[in-house]
Amino acid sequence: MRRAAVLFAVLGALGACRAAGDRPVRIGSKNFTEQVILGEIAAGALERAGVPVERRLDLGGSFVCHRALLAGELDLYPEYTGTAFTAILKEKPIADPARVRARVAAAYATRWGLAWTAPLGFENTFALVLRGDDARRLAITKISDLVRHPELKPGFGYEFVERADGFPGLAAAYGLAFTARPAEMDLGLLYPALAQGKVDVVAGNSTDGLIAAMGLAVLEDDRRYFPPYEAAFVVRGPVWHNARVRGALEALSGTITPDAMRKMNAAVDRDGKGPAAVAGEFLAGLHLAGPAR
Amino acid sequence: MSQLGAFFWQRRADILALTGQHVLLVAVAAAIAVAIGVPLGVALARRPALARPVLGFANAVQAIPSLALFGFLIPVPLIGGIGARTAIVALVVYSLLPILRNTYAGIRGVDPAVVEAATGLGMTPNERLRLVELPLAFPVVLAGIRVAVVVGVGLATIAAAIGAGGLGVLIYRGVATVDHRLILAGAVPAAALALAFDFGLSAVEKRLGPRR
Amino acid sequence: MAAPILEYVGIRKGFGAQRAALDGFSLTIVEGETVALVGPSGCGKTTALKLANRLLDADAGAVRIFGQPAGEHDPVSLRRRIGYVIQEGGLLPHWTVRENVETVPRLLGWPEGRRRARAAELLTIVGLAPEEFAERRPASLSGGQRQRVGVARALAAGPSLVLMDEPFGALDPIARRSMQKEFLRWNARWEAAVLLVTHDLREAFLLADRVAVLEGGRVRQVGSREELMRSPADDFVREFVSEFAS
Repeated sequence: MRRAAVLFAVLGALGACRAAGDRPVRIGSKNFTEQVILGEIAAGALERAGVPVERRLDLGGSFVCHRALLAGELDLYPEYTGTAFTAILKEKPIADPARVRARVAAAYATRWGLAWTAPLGFENTFALVLRGDDARRLAITKISDLVRHPELKPGFGYEFVERADGFPGLAAAYGLAFTARPAEMDLGLLYPALAQGKVDVVAGNSTDGLIAAMGLAVLEDDRRYFPPYEAAFVVRGPVWHNARVRGALEALSGTITPDAMRKMNAAVDRDGKGPAAVAGEFLAGLHLAGPAR
Repeated sequence: MSQLGAFFWQRRADILALTGQHVLLVAVAAAIAVAIGVPLGVALARRPALARPVLGFANAVQAIPSLALFGFLIPVPLIGGIGARTAIVALVVYSLLPILRNTYAGIRGVDPAVVEAATGLGMTPNERLRLVELPLAFPVVLAGIRVAVVVGVGLATIAAAIGAGGLGVLIYRGVATVDHRLILAGAVPAAALALAFDFGLSAVEKRLGPRR
Repeated sequence: MAAPILEYVGIRKGFGAQRAALDGFSLTIVEGETVALVGPSGCGKTTALKLANRLLDADAGAVRIFGQPAGEHDPVSLRRRIGYVIQEGGLLPHWTVRENVETVPRLLGWPEGRRRARAAELLTIVGLAPEEFAERRPASLSGGQRQRVGVARALAAGPSLVLMDEPFGALDPIARRSMQKEFLRWNARWEAAVLLVTHDLREAFLLADRVAVLEGGRVRQVGSREELMRSPADDFVREFVSEFAS
């Protein structure tokens, strides 16, 4: 009996030693290219800092990742301040990036014990996108121009249609009334659908690699409906307390310009490179200190 | 429960419109599958040597995961692309086996004495098919159609992934936003549709029933 | 002298590697007569019958139907001119009794009124009152009733040749006796030639004008009952007939 107790105590102590530093950090991401790249960048940065990592990328939409984080199924994932502000915290959109950032960080910390890293250096806002030819022919440059053309066929992802700060809010803010009901499909199919003429206007991301590649026109958000969407990582409290994790992630702040992100997206979407390879090249370019893998 | 009901009521326009799209997808696919499968099944019944490879092929196609087939078809010219047409092509492919197999079995299953009597009385092969074999095989053929339709209702929910519309749209929205009410708003009508088709076609089968 | 309506000359018919079912089979049936073809089971009787309506074709030898070689007849129109009754009836289960009887007239394109009248006439002849039986389905009839419908169906278009393959074989002895007696009555009324295949010599003697004994693929002897019993052509016939007599 006593020997069993000692055995358990030893195992328990060993377990505790494994706990904080050595349990792998589970990194998630949403289900589109940019997110997977960012997830790989975080993973690569942590691994170079000697932290074991488990990848759970391409998980689902914003809500899926958020819930997974709350449930302790994930330890961190890349998020955008605007999404957190309007979709998750359900606040009315405001335009000042710094204020959005501050309120999001505060709310996340108080409600859920989650930490936000400093911004990575770029914004990725919703972009309403048309085929270049159509935009020129119909002289559409701003979202409010769409009101003149209700015959255009819209196409959106499921999250955008359902989110209050997505299509419903957009339509209300601009008075949009398309004749056709929006076609809904997997995010990856939106651009091919646009190219094939199945839809005329889609809600993509401003940093999508295919926008330049396909000669698409991005419409200006003239009524400033969309809040700022600065990219950063959201991290679970206990994991954030790990100095090595925090150090590796903070080294990434401000390192990704919008152009750099677009190039990485294009490398994957247009040129067919793997996200892990693209992320690896980016990290190598940063000359991060520490043991390279 | 009443909250769920209120939610369904609030979204009734969406639910009704998408149910209509769903029924259309399934009905068009079933009609095409019958137009191809029944004549093909009759042809196989006439040449049983061909039956094994053809049925074997149809069987193999059933094993392809449906989302994969939808995905494969997207880049195919003419019948592919994003949207309802591709979904219908895939649904036709999946509906073929039950209809083909049942038509073949139904016709082969007609009492040989009856077939011989019909021939001996002086029916041409076409008259025999029209007056004897098809009417007697019809309950079995209809059972195959019933299976194809019920399976089709389920598969059509996946078609929403490639922009084909239908009740799957609500389910995907629900999964994307982690909202079980949306998932149910898609799944419950889909299940109800499947049951309704099953019940309706069973009733037709029974009315045409004991004629053997 | 009555004209031949069905002639088999030196027929050979085999199936695969087995011994030929018919080998040197010859038989002539004239207008209006009833001939029974008897022999042990599986000796080719049904095969011979099927050569008459081209459900089968001979390997060698000549079959002449209605005075013309079998090969010159279009099978479909030939069959519509010949009545065909099989064991178990072969009635179409999804049609009414009336529709079954009307089958060949329908195929021949008779107008509806004429078809119905003919069906009613035949049902009455075979002892099934049309008011009671015309709209019933075969499944609701007894074996004997179904056979009657089968006979009515065979006669509907007024054929001059009727083929019957063990027509009463599936009936119980009582029903069979009753049907045999009725057959005699019907046969007296119509002018068709009948080729009747049966394994039952007693039935053959009862129903036919002449009986042909088939064994080893050919006809051993054909003649009236008296001829077969008094002067059997060979030992086989003698034994075959003696089993009946005893």
